[in-house]
Amino acid sequence: MNPLLAQFLAEAADLLSQVDEGLLQLERDPSDPELVNEVFRAAHTFKGSSGLFDFPELTRLTHAAEDLLDAVRSGKLSLDSGMTDDLLAAFDLIRGWLAYVTTHERLPATAGPAGQSLIVKLRGPLGGEQATVNPSAATVPAGPVIDRAPDWLSLFDEEWLEKSATWLSSTSATMRFIRFTPDQGCFFRAEDPLHLVSQVPALAQLDLIQPFEWPPPEEYDEYACLIGFVLATRAARGELDYLFRYVPDQIEIVELNGDAIRRHLTGEEPPEPRADESAVAAAAQSQAENLELARDAYAILTAAQRSLTFGESLTGVRLSAVARSVAAAAAALGVPVETADPDAETLNAQLTSLLTEARPTPDETPPPPPPVERAAPVDRGRADDPGGQVGTRILKVDQEKVDHLMELVGELNVAKNGLTFLADAAEEEFGSRVLSRRIKDQYSGLHRIAEELQAAVMDVRMLPLSVAFSRFPRLIRDLSRRLGKTVELVTEGEDTMADKDVIEALGDPLVHLVRNSLDHGIETSADRQAAGKAPAARITLTAVADGDAVIVEIADDGRGIDPDKVKRKAYEKGLISEEELETLTDSDAVDLVFRPGFSTADQVSDLSGRGVGMDAVRASVEKLGGAVTMRSQLGRGTSTRLRLPLSMAVTQVMVVSVAGQRFGIPVDLVVETVRVPSGELGRVLHQDVVVLRGEVVPVIDLARALDMPWTADPAADRAILIVSMHGQRVGLLVEQFHREVDVILKPMEGLLAYADEFSGTALLGDGLVLLVLNMKEVLSLAARAQ
Amino acid sequence: MTTVMLVDDSATMLMSLKSILTKAGYTVETAGHGKEAMDKLAKGVKPNLIISDVNMPQMDGITFVREARKAPGMRFTPMLMLTTESEQTKRNEAKTAGATGWLVKPVAPDQLLGVIKQVVPGA
Amino acid sequence: MPLELNETTATLSDVVTVDEVEPLVAWLRTTIKPKVNLRRCNHLHTGALQALLLFQPRITSSPTDAFLATQVLPLLRGSSGGPVLPESEPP
Repeated sequence: MNPLLAQFLAEAADLLSQVDEGLLQLERDPSDPELVNEVFRAAHTFKGSSGLFDFPELTRLTHAAEDLLDAVRSGKLSLDSGMTDDLLAAFDLIRGWLAYVTTHERLPATAGPAGQSLIVKLRGPLGGEQATVNPSAATVPAGPVIDRAPDWLSLFDEEWLEKSATWLSSTSATMRFIRFTPDQGCFFRAEDPLHLVSQVPALAQLDLIQPFEWPPPEEYDEYACLIGFVLATRAARGELDYLFRYVPDQIEIVELNGDAIRRHLTGEEPPEPRADESAVAAAAQSQAENLELARDAYAILTAAQRSLTFGESLTGVRLSAVARSVAAAAAALGVPVETADPDAETLNAQLTSLLTEARPTPDETPPPPPPVERAAPVDRGRADDPGGQVGTRILKVDQEKVDHLMELVGELNVAKNGLTFLADAAEEEFGSRVLSRRIKDQYSGLHRIAEELQAAVMDVRMLPLSVAFSRFPRLIRDLSRRLGKTVELVTEGEDTMADKDVIEALGDPLVHLVRNSLDHGIETSADRQAAGKAPAARITLTAVADGDAVIVEIADDGRGIDPDKVKRKAYEKGLISEEELETLTDSDAVDLVFRPGFSTADQVSDLSGRGVGMDAVRASVEKLGGAVTMRSQLGRGTSTRLRLPLSMAVTQVMVVSVAGQRFGIPVDLVVETVRVPSGELGRVLHQDVVVLRGEVVPVIDLARALDMPWTADPAADRAILIVSMHGQRVGLLVEQFHREVDVILKPMEGLLAYADEFSGTALLGDGLVLLVLNMKEVLSLAARAQ
Repeated sequence: MTTVMLVDDSATMLMSLKSILTKAGYTVETAGHGKEAMDKLAKGVKPNLIISDVNMPQMDGITFVREARKAPGMRFTPMLMLTTESEQTKRNEAKTAGATGWLVKPVAPDQLLGVIKQVVPGA
Repeated sequence: MPLELNETTATLSDVVTVDEVEPLVAWLRTTIKPKVNLRRCNHLHTGALQALLLFQPRITSSPTDAFLATQVLPLLRGSSGGPVLPESEPP
């Protein structure tokens, strides 16, 4: 993708969320001028950037939004929720477009009509008729401003000027006239004025500005630029400003129509003489400007002489025009001449004497560029630079780079772990305890650095929970309006930090839970008042750090869950037995909502339904290594608590081997490792069990569950790993225990991607790939195998 | 064959500009900072155009332009500075140091190629 | 080669850059009644144009490049005073 477009898309995401957030706050507090300003600025920036691309629909729509916001900003309109809806809808549409642009690099074909209907809505409060009339109405009154013809117009060929004036008058058109005076040293900045001139679009005429006097050939410096150009073009002012943007100080552009040129040719004053202004301007002229004027005047005289010498015999009108320019130039040089009724010969003679007399004395000759031009940039520099850049130094780093860094840290850990194998080998295979000790020393030094590095990279990956929470103000506003409920959102602890993977993964479960609350938990205002509650419901999103975990809680003060109703529903759906229907405690009953196939709403709602239930929420949280619990009080509200690891990047696993192959089990799940004599394993109802401290724990043969051939040595003790799943203890019969290691878990790829019994792979220090078990699946495999 | 030398400490910037230029048929030389670029010029690399970042470690872009102008054969070579929207002051400094013009980051391909045509006759 | 210098004729072709300015000026300085062929010239560096304006060599052949032919050549003609010869000499 075009990097500019990529940049725009990245910027657009930020701007869109600014606009969204701003609009919502604004609706609550429409009087805050700073808020309006913020939203307006974001929309404005958006419009500006969108103009860089060929997305006219996008520019038009953002323009309409900007106009509406501008009217709000200037106090002409006050923002109501209808306008907010339209604005939000506009930016939603844009968000959709940009998603399309991300993959297709163009707007969807439907953009035109979809945008137009919103533009009409947005323009409505501004006086809707503008929406259609706008393009022509806006451009007509702003015609070009006609400048007064400058003296340097005399440098153009007069015959051409006459023809152009006639042509411009008959077409009511204007042309841009440029004087281009490069400075002497410009070649040393690799400037090539003629090359620039050759790029002027629609160039109509080009003439030279020659030096007052050419130096003698032996003194001529070929690298000093002595000439300049005057040119006329039909190109637009914007094109010219762009073309000459590197040399603005060498350029003067005027816009002239036929009349202005004709007035110059006949020496008439412009219709509205601006005597005061010109007097003030004249007073303000610096010495350098006078010199420049002299330079121009001299060039005009030279040109006049040229046309007298080389042109075909001049006709009356042309001759008097030349005479007038000569008179004007002579006056500027302070040597007025009488040119009342000239003929070509007298004029030529006058010119010759003028050119001799009025030649600027050497010390008067301004070495181009004049000193003013030199000084100006320095002054601007000082004004612009009041002491360095303002603002914090924050790097925007591509997420992939951080991910890569994290991978490298993982590999470093693995390489580091390799040292312990080497230390063992040094002792066992080569019999050197000393070397083994030294390697271990090296290892511990390296270990410390690796740990710090890992912590540093993890820190870079940390994001505040506000990133996950930011979508909820909008979501809750939209849903509550649709459901006709009044809901207030309170967020707490949004500055709590967690790994970006956790934040990202948290998004969907949170949305689901909030939708559930709005849909099922929260009553209408009328119902609430009938129940003696405040008419506005409250949803609270809270985040707190808890050691290595972050706890996110979504609480509402809605109607709560009726445990009896839940139990009955579960029984009807065949999820619980009749016995359970009687015996389940209220809190266990609430937990039933997490069972697959359970849904408390009588109908699948268009909001939270969508075919996934709370079981999906629990599954996705558990996949992150987290847990979900729910508490509810009938009539008082429900709170759902998600507990997630602060970081998912590094997982501690316990390595065990089964049938000669090693597997990893997340340490979080491991309760203890025990060795029991084979005789102590018992059997209850076809299930192996072991009795530990009086508790009967079922034992699963991991080899059998994974369908691997292995028979334990009958005489040896049994190695059993006790894990805890949903509060249940289960023993895993394994061949051997190994150490605990920190690994970077990678998702399963290729053929293994479909093997649910594994949650990922990790590279071990000795180069082996470790399969990490998904215990939940393993247990259900084991259950099926029996 | 027109050779463009890119000087920027951002590998991403170098990569993206290089890919635009290579696709357009230019030969590209890159350097991570002013010193490295000076070394290349000293070794006889003779670009037809230099595009340099302003803020770089070792030797900043403006110093680099000033130095590069003194390098053999570089007196009249067009040099463009990569600037941000806000670096107006730097642009003026750069011009005084001998830069031909500037580009505003991020640089769109059309814009880049257009500017090259503008400042390098026959490119 | 953008610049070919003979005893009395200089042939400028393709893109005449600033690098050609110095040899061109040296040649113009020392050549009596210099002639310059611009037929195959596509671009003239400002320094080269300036040199032609100063030394006023006879332009023997008008450029095929549109910009040079329509806009730049008249400037040279105006200052040198000499008419451009018809394209009589082969490049």
